[in-house]
Amino acid sequence: MGIARRPGSDLMVQTLKELGIEFLAANPGSSFEALQESVVNYGTPPNTMPEFITALHEESAVDMASGYGRAEGKPMCALVHGTVGLQHASMAIYQAYYFGTPMVLIAGRDDTFIQPHTANDMAAMVRGFTKWDAQPTTLEGALQALQEAYRQAVTPPTAPTLVVIDTELQKLEAGALTVPKYKPPVISGVDRTAAREIAEKLLGATNPRISVGQLRTPEGVRHAIELAELVGASTSTTATSGPMSFPQRHPLCGPGANTKYDFTLGLETGPADIALVGPRISSLTAARDKSGIGFGGLRAEHGRERAEGGGRRNVIVAQLDVDAEASLPEITRAAKELMTRSHQRVIGERTAKHAAANEEARLSALRTAVDAKRVGWDASPVSTARLYAELWPLIMNEDWCLASPTNFSGAHHRQLWAHDRPYSYLGGAGAAGLGYGAGACAGAALAARARGRFVINVQTDGDLNYAPGALWSAAHHRLPMLTIMHNNRAYHQELMFLEFMAGLRGRGTDRAHIGSTLRNPFIDYKKMAEAYGMAGEGPIDNPNLLQAALRRGLASVKRGEPYMIDVLTQPR
Amino acid sequence: MSTPVTMMTAQWRRTTSIALVAGLASATLALFSSAAEQKSPSGNPVRGKQLYYAHGCYECHGFNGETGARRLVGTGSSLIADPNAFITFLRLRADAAPLAPTQTMPSYPVTTLSDAAARDIYSYVRTFVLHAPDPKGIATLQTIIDSGKTPYKPSTSPWQPARSTSRAP
Repeated sequence: MGIARRPGSDLMVQTLKELGIEFLAANPGSSFEALQESVVNYGTPPNTMPEFITALHEESAVDMASGYGRAEGKPMCALVHGTVGLQHASMAIYQAYYFGTPMVLIAGRDDTFIQPHTANDMAAMVRGFTKWDAQPTTLEGALQALQEAYRQAVTPPTAPTLVVIDTELQKLEAGALTVPKYKPPVISGVDRTAAREIAEKLLGATNPRISVGQLRTPEGVRHAIELAELVGASTSTTATSGPMSFPQRHPLCGPGANTKYDFTLGLETGPADIALVGPRISSLTAARDKSGIGFGGLRAEHGRERAEGGGRRNVIVAQLDVDAEASLPEITRAAKELMTRSHQRVIGERTAKHAAANEEARLSALRTAVDAKRVGWDASPVSTARLYAELWPLIMNEDWCLASPTNFSGAHHRQLWAHDRPYSYLGGAGAAGLGYGAGACAGAALAARARGRFVINVQTDGDLNYAPGALWSAAHHRLPMLTIMHNNRAYHQELMFLEFMAGLRGRGTDRAHIGSTLRNPFIDYKKMAEAYGMAGEGPIDNPNLLQAALRRGLASVKRGEPYMIDVLTQPR
Repeated sequence: MSTPVTMMTAQWRRTTSIALVAGLASATLALFSSAAEQKSPSGNPVRGKQLYYAHGCYECHGFNGETGARRLVGTGSSLIADPNAFITFLRLRADAAPLAPTQTMPSYPVTTLSDAAARDIYSYVRTFVLHAPDPKGIATLQTIIDSGKTPYKPSTSPWQPARSTSRAP
């Protein structure tokens, strides 16, 4: 094969450009050298849309796509090398699948170079936890597959998709071939009749409510706000536990002036009289997951709650199996058509009452939270509550994104902070696997860098040690990412499990630390950060030194320089 | 005994110094609400400090008994009302708990923690002091409460496209 004047990989990059893929993360591999060369050299300017992001581990590359995808509600691309890269990436793909994160994965395939790095059916290794895959045999087919991968990734249920592309196709002369026109997916919402019925119920109710779960994109959040404001409904939110939900401190968010709701609309959640619940990942497993990966978690009606016997907190009386986000414009349109001046007057009065009641409820909740979190304020090592408390006043007027899982560090932000953006908090790891935090935060910081915001990474120590190279990626690409170590020097949950098991067996409760702690020697995370080119400080065990350190860290990330603060913390 | 004190920082050692036992004994006891709680511990708090760490009490109750899944100070719990109640509780826990990964309170049977050792831990636990400053005196905490009054600002940024895409070296 001669050198192509117009290589196929250029058209692949052009396809990604036209799909709006901003970033492509990869650890280099010979099976995609042609595609990588096109990413960094094709186009004007080159290495833009997508920009090549250097990852030090394929798991980090995919975690970056996870963080970006959760923050933006659209795919980033991760590129992996053959069987070895795909297996490195598999853990992160698994977590993204569990979370329903849209992303496009590309695996290079080279039959002619290193046999152990190739496979006849490359995607089989991750088929159980990807939504869709293809291994095209022509260049045109490869371009179409990339488009279909994107379409499938963003169509509910959103999830990772994979295209396996042979090196030969990447190097092929494209000739006069052009990128096919992309057809966005048509995501169906409720039909006009159902939309009108829902709008009538919202307008006819004395005290309507909207339960807002996790929508797909920021646009869905905008539509939810528009509808809630239009009909004056109090709302609930899941913004403190994950992205793409209703703003926590919106005047309508809270219990409202009256908690006897006579009609509740659910958007991807309950409780609700009518809930709009789009397809879940679990609906895919029967066809693709032949090995039962996930131990049944995905096979169950995961995330769905139906009325069964009453008494359940999250009861859904009637469920329409339809995507909520796609339904909102039609419901809003119907409500506008049905709206009368009488409605408007009542809604205006109700909205004002809700706003006042919700503010009071919010202040009451904050006082209660502060009362609880102040305990151990001066404790050393630093209490996890103080860590979150010290941070909030410094960022409350900034545009921030908390991209790390927080369950192991107390998740105190849920009670102390305001989660008012679709990306305020990006949620847990997906499948509760470790190794996710730093990579995901780097991905979220890619989105943040281009949008003038910054990322907070409350980083557990055990998690960081799986793939700390993400710190280097953050330094190399100058990502606005403030990493604050929750350094309890243990795999602490496992330590507690071991303690319990030893007690149960009646032996060695003083030996549970073996294999579950990170002592002898302690790990110096400041030096780790420095080794990767990231500024930092610590370890800090005096809580009175924390605020000044956080100020220095925030100043650094606002300059575009990631920063690490190693904080010795109480265990939880 | 394994390496209990290696985890402790200088600050922590300062904060929870056994010297507190004598100096703060009366103040500490005042934290326990019921009269029953005021029974005197009979163990050795110095040994108890090491045992508190070695047997993992800190894992759920914090290094100072103030944090974690369940704090020990200021709760008025009858389970730490006196040494006997404390030891009885330690012995029974796992029998009632499921045989599965759990963060609930482990059992500490006599085969792994003697009565004397349990009394030492108890005596150490009773040295803990509640630090819960008045929010009015802590600017950070007051700011958090006041932040609830801050009017909600609709965001435009989530729906704005990226300003730039390439800053790689």
